[in-house]
This record gives sequence, C-alpha cells and structure tokens, in this order.
Amino acid sequence: MNKKYYGQFGGQYVSETLMNTLDELDVEFEKAIADPEFRAEYDYYMKDYVGRETPLYLAERLTEKYGTKIYLKREDLNHTGAHKINNVIGQILLARRMGKKKVIAETGAGQHGVATATGAALFGMECTVYMGAEDIERQALNVFRMKMLGAEVVSVTSGSNTLKDATNEAIRAWAKSAEDTFYIIGSAVGPYPYPKMVKEFQRIISRETKKQFLEKEGRLPETVIACVGGGSNSIGMFAEFIDEKDVELIGVEAAGHGIETGKHASAMSLGKPGALHGMRSYLLQDSDGNVQLAHSISAGLDYPGVGPEHAFLRDSGRVEYVSITDEEAMDALMELCRMEGIIPAIESAHALAYAFKKAKTMNMNQAMVVCLSGRGDKDVHTVAEYFKNKPM
Amino acid sequence: MNRIEKKLKELEEKKQKAFITYMTAGLPSIKGTEEIIRAQAEAGTDIIELGVPFSDPVADGPVIQAASFKSIQLGTNLEKVFGIVEDVRKDCQIPIVFMMYYNTILYYGVERFVDRCIASGVDGLIIPDLPFEEQGEINGYLLKKNAPILIQLVAPVSKQRIPMLLEKARGFVYCVSTMGVTGQSTGFHKDIRKYLSEVKAASSIPVMMGFGISSAKDVEGVKDIIDGAIVGSAFINLMEKNDYNVDVIKEYCSTFKKELNA
Repeated sequence: MNKKYYGQFGGQYVSETLMNTLDELDVEFEKAIADPEFRAEYDYYMKDYVGRETPLYLAERLTEKYGTKIYLKREDLNHTGAHKINNVIGQILLARRMGKKKVIAETGAGQHGVATATGAALFGMECTVYMGAEDIERQALNVFRMKMLGAEVVSVTSGSNTLKDATNEAIRAWAKSAEDTFYIIGSAVGPYPYPKMVKEFQRIISRETKKQFLEKEGRLPETVIACVGGGSNSIGMFAEFIDEKDVELIGVEAAGHGIETGKHASAMSLGKPGALHGMRSYLLQDSDGNVQLAHSISAGLDYPGVGPEHAFLRDSGRVEYVSITDEEAMDALMELCRMEGIIPAIESAHALAYAFKKAKTMNMNQAMVVCLSGRGDKDVHTVAEYFKNKPM
Repeated sequence: MNRIEKKLKELEEKKQKAFITYMTAGLPSIKGTEEIIRAQAEAGTDIIELGVPFSDPVADGPVIQAASFKSIQLGTNLEKVFGIVEDVRKDCQIPIVFMMYYNTILYYGVERFVDRCIASGVDGLIIPDLPFEEQGEINGYLLKKNAPILIQLVAPVSKQRIPMLLEKARGFVYCVSTMGVTGQSTGFHKDIRKYLSEVKAASSIPVMMGFGISSAKDVEGVKDIIDGAIVGSAFINLMEKNDYNVDVIKEYCSTFKKELNA
C-alpha cells in the first residue's frame, strides 16, 4: 500500500521541481509529529494563543425545536474566527523548524489567508496570500485584515477568479521559490503529505469533541456533521470518529443554485475522478476534461475538487456526502442567528442546514454534533446582498 | 524507429544542435496550426511541442496560460488536436510531442489516449504534472508498439533524483532552466552550468534546455553543454505579434536554428 494514496485518490501530481521539496516536507513532518517537543509547542499555541479548547455547546432552543440534541462544536470562537488557525499554527511551526523565512498561501473565503497572515506576524515571517479577484471583492473585510497583519495579498485574475485559480497561482509561485518558501495549504487538498498534514493539525477538533461529548453524555453521538469544500474542518471533525463505526458521519457540500442547474460546487455528487492541484480526487469537469467552474454563495466552498481522503471515504461508504443549496444555507444561517444568537459563516451554515433536515429523523434520546467551523462576520456583505429583495 | 529518436540520430551524425518549439494547438485556428507545423518543418525546426490546452496549466506562465485559454474558447479539445496530427502526417514527418496535463489524459482514458497517439502519429509526451513516481499507470500502455516516448523533465533541484529520472529515459532529456513556470525572463538558475553538466554527464541521450529562452544568444553561455534549445512563450509572443504570419515564423525558426549551430 502506497502511503501517498487513499485508495485510488491522492498522490503527488506536481512538477519535478517540487518533488524534492515534497520528500523533504514528508520526512520533516513525520519527524515533527513524532517529537514530543513539537507537539507540546503546538499544544501551547493552541491553548494560549488560539484560545482552545473550544466549547461543545448544546444549542438549547434548536434542540427543543427539532426534538433531538444538537451540539455545536464552536470553532468560530478560535482566534481569527475559524478552524483554519489550527492547521496554520501546525504548518508554520513546521516551516520554522525547517528554517524557512517566507510563507505563501491560497485563500477562498479569506479565513485561511487571515490565519496565515496571523501566524506569519506571530513568528515574524514574510507572508504572501493568493486570492481570486472575485473573492477579494466578496470578502473585503478579510482582505483588509490580512493587510493589517502585514501580508501581501495578490489578486488572481485567471479562470474563475476564485479559490481554484488562487491555488494554481500559489502552486506556480511555490515552484519558483520552493528553495526558501513554505507553502501553507489551508484545505485537506494538494499533493501528499498535505492532506495528511492538514488532517493531523485539524484532528484537535474531533479529539476535543469526543472528550467533551463523553463528559456531557457519557457516550458517543449518533451523528457528526461538517461542511466540505476542500474538506479541512470536516476531516478534522471526522478524524477521531472514523474508527467508531456506530457514529454516523455526514459531509455537506455546496449545491449552489441546485445540483441540477450545473451551478454548484459538489465534486462528489457529480464529479468524476481527475487530477488537479497535485492530487487525484473527484473533480468537476466539462466534456473535454477541463475543470468546470464551481458555484457557491460561500467562497470557502466554491471549489471544484475535494480532498482525496474524502473521495476515499465516500467510495468506501464510511462517510455520507450530501449537498445543500445557497438558499437552504442562508435560511439556516438566519435561524442560528435568531434562535441561538450566533452568526455563523455561510460555509458552516451548510452543515447546519443539513443538520436541521437530519434532526427531523432523530429523537430526544439521540444527539448530533455539528461543526460550526467559522463565524459569519466576514459574510455580512454577502448576507445583506442576498436579502436585499427578500424578507430576512 | 520513433521519429524523435530518428531525428536526434540524424542531428548527432550532422553534429547539429536541435531547435525545438512549443505552440498551443488550435491557434490561430486548427487549420492555422497545421500550416505552421508544415512551415516549421520546412524552415528547419527539428521537433515540435504541441500544447494541448487545459483549463488549469499550473506549470505555465502568463503567455501560455493566455494561449490555452484562448484556444479552449475557440473550441479546441484533445480530439481536434489528434485531428491536427493526423492531417499533418499525410505529408509531413516532423517529430511531434504533445505537451499536456495529466487530467486531460485521465478524462480521455489512459489506454484509449495511448492508442489514439499511436494511430495518429504522436511521437512523444511531456506531462509536467506527472512526475516520475506517478508514471507507472501510463507506462504500462507505453510499451505498445509505436507508442509515444514519455519525455523526462529534470529541474535545477532534482540533484540526487537525476540517475533515477534518466535510467530508462528515451528520446531526449528536458532540462528546465529555472525554478518555476514557463516564460519567465528572470534569467536561468544560478547554478545553471553545474546543473546542466551533471545531467549531461549522467545522460546517454541528448539533453535539451527549455524555459525562459527567446533567442539563440540566450543559450550562448551553455551551448557547449546542451544538445538543443526549446522555445515556448517567446515563440507564441512572436506569432501573436505578427498575426501568425507564416513567413515571419519561418524566418524566426531558420535564424534560430542557424545561430544555434553557428
């Protein structure tokens, strides 16, 4: 079994220029995670800088309304407002250990960009973030935050001007500068060992959740739900539950205007296996094998591929992947605001929307955990635009 | 004998260096591409890299990205590029190498792709996102009779990987002159001579250099080491600027070839 693969997915589909870099990264990463000092350092920053552990909150009014216990894993309460910082701290500590002075990153919603800019400021590194021109427009707040933190934000205007293209440009920049630059990938995608690194640094979400749930309920939850773009919060949320066969795992992709309209970002419902961004995985493609543009109201889910381990978990049947439209997500977002006083990111609202559907099939003796991957401050312009002509 | 190997053997006998160009298929049109291939064969270009356009060309700089995008907009796809080769092969035997991304092959079907290369007369493949370790799948089919040669790419940082990359390499070795993507004019890698010499010493087949070359004088400083030069972005810029005028293209190719061997 080739460790670089998850079944038929994964691998290293990159140029020869990057192969030595990936080999070195693999060796250094394995050494680091086996080193108690590195782990202690990571744990220290998670607690004292990021503010972990994050609460596992029983959403009381939602629980009452839907008739089953709905717990929220509050990743939105992390420093910088989303789960992305967990992985950034891990990778930047590794970059520092490897003697790199510069970091680059791609970003969609801007949360990973902000987290990377934050980590770079914390450790005094030079930081460049690649972001699609369309995302720069719809996530203006995060662009400004990155600049305040001292990062350079490069506007990418090719293809769809979104995360896919920002990733292409980051890969190009990385190939040029790999000798002194560390590429911090934010999602569970890319060439091996990135999908594994992202999973290991996001695993803290499910490690805490499992412990917290056991303390509260004395058992494991029936169902765990998380949204999937590239799949970083979801792989972190699933990691410790994958071997717990009685826990149902559900990943929620973005259905955009609806799968049937073709304007969606659901790589696993209609995508075919392909190769992009250094990995083999499910990929939205047109009839010539070109990558199709994804669509989602959520910049963080607007990606035509998905992490290779998710593709594997789908095919093996261990995780069920479903999709939620823009409209369903926005309704769920407002419901969480109004009923629990929490403004979630539109990404996380996709997981919530499916959780509400799922809850109707469950009862008061059962419980689910939904990963609230980020907070919604960055999305207020999108929300305002969306509700311009309809009642909020 | 494979057309690439045959051509390289001829050049070796004539003690000539190879001049290789890259062009994106489908520009200015399918017919136009066919004419330019024939014109280059007459002008003295030794091998042609034909780019199969892809939506996400991560190994390419802005010039080839823009050319790919434009060609896709014009409706170029893999099937049409095979059509170009078939048409050219009626009266022209210049070696043709497809430069393409692996997803295009995966989508088409790997075995079906190789069979179609054999049937249409494609001599070689350059797949920049298919490094040595991932070549097993396609190599299984490249054992077929008259299958194209998978050209191996070597980078300035390949170092200890070089013997592995070269062990079974056929045709020629493609040495990337710089870190990064095609079409950068930032100069070659700082250790270019040392790097090329290492590859040359380890290689039993000709060593070509590509990335960031626009004229024969760009390679003056390494001409004693390499067996040929590959021009891509600069060639596309020239064609674009001159509205794909065949006479200008012929003049550029024959001049480059002459100066390279001066």
